Amino acid sequence: MTASEIIFWFLSVLALFSAIMVLISRNPVHSVLWLIVVFFAISGHYILLNAQFLAIVNLIVYAGAIMVLFLFVIMLMNLNTETEPQRNTWLKVIGVISGGLLLTVMVSAARSAGELSNKTALIGAGDIGLIQNLGKVLFNQYVVPFEITSVLFLSAMVGAVVIGKKD
Amino acid sequence: MPIQYYIALASALFCIGVVGVLTRRNAIIIFMCIELMLNAVNLLLVAFSKMPFNIAETGASNASAGADAQLFVFFIMVVAAAEVSVGLAIIVMMYRNVHSVDINFLNRLKN
Amino acid sequence: MICSIIVRNKGSFRHIAAFGLLILLIANILETYGKDFFHVNTMQLLQFDRFGFLFNSIALGATLIYVLLTGKEIEKSGKYAAEYFTLIFFVLCGIFILSAYDNLLMLFLGIEIMSIPLYILTGSDKRNLKSNEAALKYFLMGAFSTGLMLMGIALMYGGTGTFQLEVQRISVGMYKGVSFLEITGLLFLMVAMAFKVSAAPFHFWTPDVYDGAPAVFTSFMATIVKAAAFVAFIKLCDVRMTATLGAIDWKLLFALIIVFTLLIGNITAVFQQSVKRMLAYSSIAQAGFMLFALFNVNDVAKEGLLLYTAAYSLATIGIFAILVKMKDYTFEGYNGLAKTQPVLAATNTVFLLSLAGIPLTAGFFAKYYMLAAVVKTGSYIWLVVVGVLFAAVSVYYYFRVIQAMYFRNGNAATETITFSFKTGLIILAAIIILIGILPQVLLNWFYF
Repeated sequence: MTASEIIFWFLSVLALFSAIMVLISRNPVHSVLWLIVVFFAISGHYILLNAQFLAIVNLIVYAGAIMVLFLFVIMLMNLNTETEPQRNTWLKVIGVISGGLLLTVMVSAARSAGELSNKTALIGAGDIGLIQNLGKVLFNQYVVPFEITSVLFLSAMVGAVVIGKKD
Repeated sequence: MPIQYYIALASALFCIGVVGVLTRRNAIIIFMCIELMLNAVNLLLVAFSKMPFNIAETGASNASAGADAQLFVFFIMVVAAAEVSVGLAIIVMMYRNVHSVDINFLNRLKN
Repeated sequence: MICSIIVRNKGSFRHIAAFGLLILLIANILETYGKDFFHVNTMQLLQFDRFGFLFNSIALGATLIYVLLTGKEIEKSGKYAAEYFTLIFFVLCGIFILSAYDNLLMLFLGIEIMSIPLYILTGSDKRNLKSNEAALKYFLMGAFSTGLMLMGIALMYGGTGTFQLEVQRISVGMYKGVSFLEITGLLFLMVAMAFKVSAAPFHFWTPDVYDGAPAVFTSFMATIVKAAAFVAFIKLCDVRMTATLGAIDWKLLFALIIVFTLLIGNITAVFQQSVKRMLAYSSIAQAGFMLFALFNVNDVAKEGLLLYTAAYSLATIGIFAILVKMKDYTFEGYNGLAKTQPVLAATNTVFLLSLAGIPLTAGFFAKYYMLAAVVKTGSYIWLVVVGVLFAAVSVYYYFRVIQAMYFRNGNAATETITFSFKTGLIILAAIIILIGILPQVLLNWFYF
């Protein structure tokens, strides 16, 4: 086992464990905190894959901005008490079973796919993830969607103001 | 690292998100599980972007092969941020009226 | 073309909005016939073809009629009339992207630009609990299906190494044969699109959302937006699905989806008490008919989808325009409308007949073209029979409204009806009948 493999397994286990904790913790604030741990683990994966730009953006946007927004709303609503009533158990069981089936199908499809044998994701190699290369592609080839997302943001902004404003 | 590991990891995270959406009742937690799903997708895309078949396949210059997947991740983050702002606004709006974020209140629509 | 993408209109009044729509419509029609206003290199991300232009024209025209007819209601529905018009323009922007996307990234962005303003329009009636809940439900469902769609896109990327819609299979080191990843991805993508067009197993959000949203916006959502999702879907089927799934019998899957959609939409619509909710279910049923176009993508199907969009949108916009004028949304509320408001009742009858697909209205030819697309395949004739049967069922619940208007006693309470509103309705009904009698007029124009 090389160092990067150890890191890979550590990050994977961490991500899965905290994802499950997001699911089962009763207190929404704890869920948010565990979700942040997931994001950190995923950022670790990005760094492992030499995608530094995404790793940083992931931390800034997701862990930094989005999760703070979530926390803010939860605090605002004073939800940190365990207010959530329980859904009946068989619905839960059905939910878990269907999710498990989906997982089984996806993993077995990936395992049996001949196209994937001997395919590896390069770790610690390549420099496409660097900000310089990504920026060049973004502002050459992908400049149209980049402009279009501004429309998206504008609409989200208008919408949030319309909805959030007290009348 | 074999790509299957990444597919399995991303699928597992994705399915945990799906299970969360199906089983939880708190609208905010459901929303967080959706974010988890998006992150699983992001991880998968980044892993695919580093798969060497890309470099042979797309015929693009080696320097930028796979960059499209990473930019897709970037756009997903952008959209997720916009979605979160609208979604939380809707949740807050509902909370103001019902003082609850329990989605079982939604069943009132049925009749 | 970029002129229609850049939303420059911040229509603070409906007149400005209507004017802007008119300009966009004219620009769009001109561009259909080869006049380039702008030339923007979209780097294979967007590709404007005849079909997309024609669809844009229909969407713009329908929106124009919608704004002219119900603009006043939009202004009444809240304090933020200007914002609502702006949001409608944003939705249109998303629709233009969807009609022209050539890259899965643009598909994703287009769907998001289309749906985010819709979440807000759904919840625009902030005091109304139903509207709130509809918005939340729509939002959660929409975000969930977006997640599924992204997973599909990611897997498809893993299978092919590109986001382009058309894959050049000059595989150098690629695995020959069926790509598992791509198929799994396509399935995810199909499920997500089925969510968006509210096809059968994934339709459950539709009635609640359509019922809860303010009626003015429901009419927009149920017509133009839904049709746009179909256009995106048909493009996906046209290019990617047939190429990837050539070996697999996916048509059976589609046939099952169609039958389920028709079954659920039509049967549940029969039992509804509220006209608005009945229309929501009937829109699921109409989606079932539109799915026929996806079943076998050919030129007939594409023409048919355009015709169907036009017929269905015009009729539904008309019905909803009348609906928002009613005080009571149940069937009883329509009792005796023919006596108090004969013009409204008459035009409403035309719209309903068109939706039911009675000859001499636009809906008849729309349905005919859809079924003809399937007949062309030669197999799956039973599907056509099922379609016709359910069309017959749908006649029943549309006639309930007509029956209530003409043959029941009562005094249907409406809000004040202006003369211009009546004129608009009459013109709309005239268009529908005109298309019904002379479909060639529209079809020659559609020919591509």
